[in-house]
Amino acid sequence: MKKIKIRLGTKALLVLTALFFGLILAGRAQDRHLVYDLKVELLTETAMLNGQETIVWTNITRDYVPDIWFHLYWNAFKNELSTMAQEARREKMFSRYRAGKDDWGWIKITSLTTASGKDLMPAASFISPDGPHNPHDQTVLRVELPEPLAPGETITLNIDFQAKVPRNGLRTGYYKDGFFIAQWFPKPGVYEEGRGWNCHEYHLNSEFFADFADFRAEITVPSRMVVGACGQEIEKKEDPASGKTTYTYVGKNIHDFAWTASPRFIKVERWFRADEEVSPEEYQKMAEILGLTPEEIKLPDVRMILLIEKQHQKQIERHFKALRAAIKYYGLWYGPYPYPTITMVDPPFRTGSGGMEYPTLFTAGTSVILEKEVLSPEQVIVHEFGHGYWYGMVANNEFEEAWLDEGINTYSTGRVTDLAYGPGRLPMKFKGWPLNWLIKTPAVYDWQLGRVVSNPVATLDPIVTESWKFYNSMSYSMNVYYRAATALHTLERLLGEKTWSRIMRAYHLSYRFRHPKTENFMKVVNEVSGQNLSWFFEEFFFNAKDFDCGIASVETRLKPEKYRGIFDDLPTKNSDQGKEQPLKKPSSRKEKIYQTTITLRRYGQAKPAPAFPLKLKVEFEDGSTEWRAWDAQSRWARFDFEKPARVKTACLDPEGLWLVDSNLANNSYSPRGPGASLQAAAGSFIWMMQNFLLTLFGLL
Amino acid sequence: MNVCSYIRSGFNRALVRFRLAVYLWLILLALALLAAAPVNSLLRTQLGHLYLPEKPFQPFELYLLEALLANQQFFAPYAGFLLVFLSFCLLLFVFLGAGLFGRMLTPDPVVTFREFLADGCRYFWRFGLSLLVFLPFLAVFLLLFRLLAAPLNLWARQAVTEWPVIISSNLRMLLAILLWTVFKLLLDLVRIIMIAEKKKLIPAYAAALRFLRRNFIRLWGLYLILGLLVVLISALWLLLGRLLGGSAGIGVLFFLLLCQAYLIFRLLARQTFIGMEYSYYLNHRGN
Repeated sequence: MKKIKIRLGTKALLVLTALFFGLILAGRAQDRHLVYDLKVELLTETAMLNGQETIVWTNITRDYVPDIWFHLYWNAFKNELSTMAQEARREKMFSRYRAGKDDWGWIKITSLTTASGKDLMPAASFISPDGPHNPHDQTVLRVELPEPLAPGETITLNIDFQAKVPRNGLRTGYYKDGFFIAQWFPKPGVYEEGRGWNCHEYHLNSEFFADFADFRAEITVPSRMVVGACGQEIEKKEDPASGKTTYTYVGKNIHDFAWTASPRFIKVERWFRADEEVSPEEYQKMAEILGLTPEEIKLPDVRMILLIEKQHQKQIERHFKALRAAIKYYGLWYGPYPYPTITMVDPPFRTGSGGMEYPTLFTAGTSVILEKEVLSPEQVIVHEFGHGYWYGMVANNEFEEAWLDEGINTYSTGRVTDLAYGPGRLPMKFKGWPLNWLIKTPAVYDWQLGRVVSNPVATLDPIVTESWKFYNSMSYSMNVYYRAATALHTLERLLGEKTWSRIMRAYHLSYRFRHPKTENFMKVVNEVSGQNLSWFFEEFFFNAKDFDCGIASVETRLKPEKYRGIFDDLPTKNSDQGKEQPLKKPSSRKEKIYQTTITLRRYGQAKPAPAFPLKLKVEFEDGSTEWRAWDAQSRWARFDFEKPARVKTACLDPEGLWLVDSNLANNSYSPRGPGASLQAAAGSFIWMMQNFLLTLFGLL
Repeated sequence: MNVCSYIRSGFNRALVRFRLAVYLWLILLALALLAAAPVNSLLRTQLGHLYLPEKPFQPFELYLLEALLANQQFFAPYAGFLLVFLSFCLLLFVFLGAGLFGRMLTPDPVVTFREFLADGCRYFWRFGLSLLVFLPFLAVFLLLFRLLAAPLNLWARQAVTEWPVIISSNLRMLLAILLWTVFKLLLDLVRIIMIAEKKKLIPAYAAALRFLRRNFIRLWGLYLILGLLVVLISALWLLLGRLLGGSAGIGVLFFLLLCQAYLIFRLLARQTFIGMEYSYYLNHRGN
């Protein structure tokens, strides 16, 4: 056992060391095959952008590339027949987007030339890579190159564009003079060797995918605006004559660039000082878990920038506290935060841009009336910062495998908030006022709530599904966020904290600044754990199967002193020989013996591997305890007990390892039931019904 | 008479007819038990043998949520059942309302269930019709509400912070309540006049409108003062329930008793409203 542990630790260490060097290489600017130079002016009166963009793209594959595909995301808001708008209309219950009158947004390339001045506009056409051609969707533009780009060759493209900011788009928009500008410039897809361009249409249930690049952006806005953007501000030039200011930002090794401007922002800066936030004991403890030295996991200081609406300024410290916790734990678990700054934006009012991640910048979102015990802005802050790790650095394709960032990050968010804050109360409001002031909602951990709410979608879609192919938005969000997180919590419990921590760090550092897929994650899980856990992914990620094992029945009867019938004592040779015979005389003490049969059932389709059986713990009234193991390969199993006492409690999976179990209520048995809790729930429901009826009576 | 004496008079009238609150409470309890039975049965089946240790794996509320989410298919037929059930309740409540007004307005303070039912039968038809005639007034109420709420909606639409949205939303709710009390006052008065003056429906509406024209501000003020008292006591009750309610044993029992006591309080409040309106009407009908 010890040997295995040493081997596991050494292997993890080797992987981590190799990855660390890989990480440094991946971060070298001269290797960057994509460079953006952006210039944009915001016209606040008309909500328009005038932009120029220079893209330098190098073909680092062995393919000859005949064309370049661009995302023109804002055209998703151009009409009600765009792919995204059509998907939004199909949503019956909840839709995050409704096209409104005069709310349209769009982007138009007015000029596209090569460095030599060759006009490529005639060679440009809109395409629909994800399905039947949609002539009304203009979110992907294919530009044929004059001649295929050879391996290693570089092309420079100069683009002029105009764009109208959507009034209230998804994740981007404006309201009065508050703007949040995201997915706003022509952005090439990701060229994959042998497969061509990976460049999807803008979908309702999907986020994004892009290549790492170096950005330089000049943003011109009215001088009254407070501005924030990805990367670092390196210059600010005011032009009093025009009343405009130009901000210059640079961002290295990032794959997107968003910015915001509003006159109602307050800009606050603080430092994350690693030595003040992480104690030597915490370093030591984490280092032991990871099999590294404390020096190897030291965290750097980070400049934290907050742009917060004036109406929320009382919550400034609350925002920074959450961000500090996130930088600390993500850094300790997955590796240090590699950028010098992080910008946290309380998004401009009514811009529909809250709770979204961009490299080195994210949006949170809060409310003017907040309760202390509801972790409403905190969870969003931790989650969106966490996307800097999962998606920002480990940049999976969110169109195709959204769970890889959303699921892992939801899992990580839960762990951070559990450690930093403990359980939070459920938010409930009436007319803007928190109901927790009157009625206390239960305090729950993130993983507890996530597990429960994601159960109903278990059989709708597999977690690994292309984002726009989920049954509906609910299935998408519950599967890729919460069900995936629940599956990861289960893996953590099955493998133990040490192994799991090493897996996650190894995976993160292996794929930092790369584009991993699910199979890459599986490979790291199997390699670092030293076990083949592919069955787990097959059951819970690649298939829409429900996992529900439970106690079907517990039957107890008094063992009869005598059995009726004819017992003739003829010799037998069956396997019962040597066991207690039916006619054996009872002991002189006349002790009562109870025969208990517990039937377990596997209600769902999913099952564990035989090497991971479920445990059954049975406690009897005499204080004794029995344990059994069930591999759940069959649909049911019976376990018999003969004891001088009745069953007090029975628990399947008493350690709570199998969080993917969709019904924990049938995992335990007690003859008394939950007692007062159930009475109180039933009583409350009846009382609510009485009040409702009385109100109706009063109205008539 | 001053404000307090009207409220006292209404309260005294309600108190001596306390049995009415008990009858109504029992009927509402029976109806609520019936309406809640399918959910109760579902919860007992799903959670009846759940083992909940001192430190449970998750709060009991999440087990509840889990059970309800796992049985979503149950809710469509249950909603159908509730719809039919509420249609029956609407008729029953007209009948009970007739019984309540009938017994509240009688000079004889002794209330029997038989007399309560008899009054229900006696005034049922007229009360039902009074509701039908009330429908145009309801339309006026909705129209007035939309007109008065329009500036608030505009203010919220133009807001650049959350505060105007929250404040206007609360003001709209307050406006709706205040407006509703005006129309509810009218309906109550019509019923009082129908019983006290033995008038037919349309003359009763005409008399009630005439009476309100002369006495609206004072009577509405009384109504609002009493309403405010009821709201304050309700808030105190909620606070008490939050402080004293427990999740086990005697705490739960206390909580459940407190819940039922609150319902009786609400019923008594309803009686007090009727008593106070009647007392005011008797004092001013000659004016």
